[in-house]
Amino acid sequence: MDPIIALFGIIIGGTLVGVCVHFIPCSAVGAMAATTGIATGPTMLAAGAGMMGLMAAAYNLDNGLALMLASGAIASMLMIALTSVVANITYAFGVGVAPTSGQSEYDRFTGFEQKQCLTPGTDGHGIPTQSFISGVIGAAIGGIGGALVFYSVYTLISPSIPSSTAVAIAGIIAVGIYIINGVLPAYTLVGKTEGMTDEKFKTTPKTFYSCLIMSTVSGIFVYAASVVI
Amino acid sequence: MEPTIIFAVALAGALAILAGIFEDLESDTGSQSNPNSQVQLAPQIGHLHRYFNKAISGEPPAYGFWSTTGATVAVLLQTRFLSGFGEMHSVILASIFGALVAASILSFYAIFAHISRTASMRPFKQPLQLDVILSPLPLFFAYGFLAVLCVTLISFITNMVLLNPFPVPLIALLFGITLGTIGSSTGDIHYGSERLYQTFIFGSGIPISKQGDIDVKAEYGFRNSIDTPYFTSRFGGPVTGLCFGAIVFLDNWSRLFTFAGKWTPILLGIIIIILLFLINLSIEIYTRNRFNEFTKE
Repeated sequence: MDPIIALFGIIIGGTLVGVCVHFIPCSAVGAMAATTGIATGPTMLAAGAGMMGLMAAAYNLDNGLALMLASGAIASMLMIALTSVVANITYAFGVGVAPTSGQSEYDRFTGFEQKQCLTPGTDGHGIPTQSFISGVIGAAIGGIGGALVFYSVYTLISPSIPSSTAVAIAGIIAVGIYIINGVLPAYTLVGKTEGMTDEKFKTTPKTFYSCLIMSTVSGIFVYAASVVI
Repeated sequence: MEPTIIFAVALAGALAILAGIFEDLESDTGSQSNPNSQVQLAPQIGHLHRYFNKAISGEPPAYGFWSTTGATVAVLLQTRFLSGFGEMHSVILASIFGALVAASILSFYAIFAHISRTASMRPFKQPLQLDVILSPLPLFFAYGFLAVLCVTLISFITNMVLLNPFPVPLIALLFGITLGTIGSSTGDIHYGSERLYQTFIFGSGIPISKQGDIDVKAEYGFRNSIDTPYFTSRFGGPVTGLCFGAIVFLDNWSRLFTFAGKWTPILLGIIIIILLFLINLSIEIYTRNRFNEFTKE
């Protein structure tokens, strides 16, 4: 891969990571079954999924970009899907509440009425189907973004340094860029989102621009460092 | 398909199940992660309590840090032990020492976090009690040690047998962050929604206006953090282990097959995700029919 194309790979990958967080249904208050979404911070869940994606992508380092991006996306999707299912099992059998959206009247995919199972005084609980699908889509975007950053950084630095060291450095930089871009949406999501059906999803362009700027700065630093090496 | 690889995939999955269980019990014992907000809020609405209160950081970065520390120490020691003990024994022995170092750091952080958190509650008369600090300490140490040991061993297996190109400490960082995320997302719900609010009828939900109104009384005397794993180890811990174990196992398992060429893991992954979607839908339908009696005003 040409160094300039690799630089654009870092920028596009980093921006995708930022945008993916808007799709992943999360809420810290979800741990008390008081809001819809997986019970942790959006950034942290996106990071957890992205890390599995990076790990899977690393296995396919020598098998081409397409397979690497696909394996990154699938591993991230698997992580979010399993976490959503197990979280819903916990809500069902540990807490005794049904997955319900606090913001939607009806589920966009199943058509189930949401207010029917909503605990009074809460903003929803669990992960209804619309949030599940949104989370899986977000994980796919994040997995592709993380793998693209990893591959781009690896191709930038691998001609100058030994392969095993380049993999490690590319992995650490990919984790760093993933977490930097994963944190930025926190300022628009403020710790809670139901995914693409949430009102806050309209703020995605803000995240897009901020992550674009951040990824460009990060990419230029990595590019400059690889040129110096 | 080599038997060694199949055994390594199974072992990594089994260790991941254990890591998930111990991680969740460790975080529940110290009220870490999101339910910490309730323990922190309780004195502000007049509930003085005897829970351990350690929010060192979110679970994902915390476990990323503990796991990386354990794995880094283990890698350094493993190279020293290699000539004397052989490859397998050196990995196990070095991982034990690495996990000991990580668990010690965890315990120090826990003590300071509890002291500073409780000190910040001084305007609300929350007392700082020595036995509340010292009693659950062996539990953090033990659960933290076991969780980090499992993650370190999985990292070694992933690097040495499954041939992931990342170095062991970086794999431990990635697994640690994922483990923390899963513990925070699944097992903590059982602690935050059920254990802290056991006086509410099961299935009735917890209104936001009741936040901080946690149970501070036990069957005998005040509740303490040592009793928490007694409750959460029945459900919250095992489901966390199930989730992390399933992720590690299924991700590695899908790479064992080659019937559709290099794209086989992707194909299998898509099939698993579709199955998970169907399971999620059936849980939603079941719970909607089962738990809707409390939702009317």
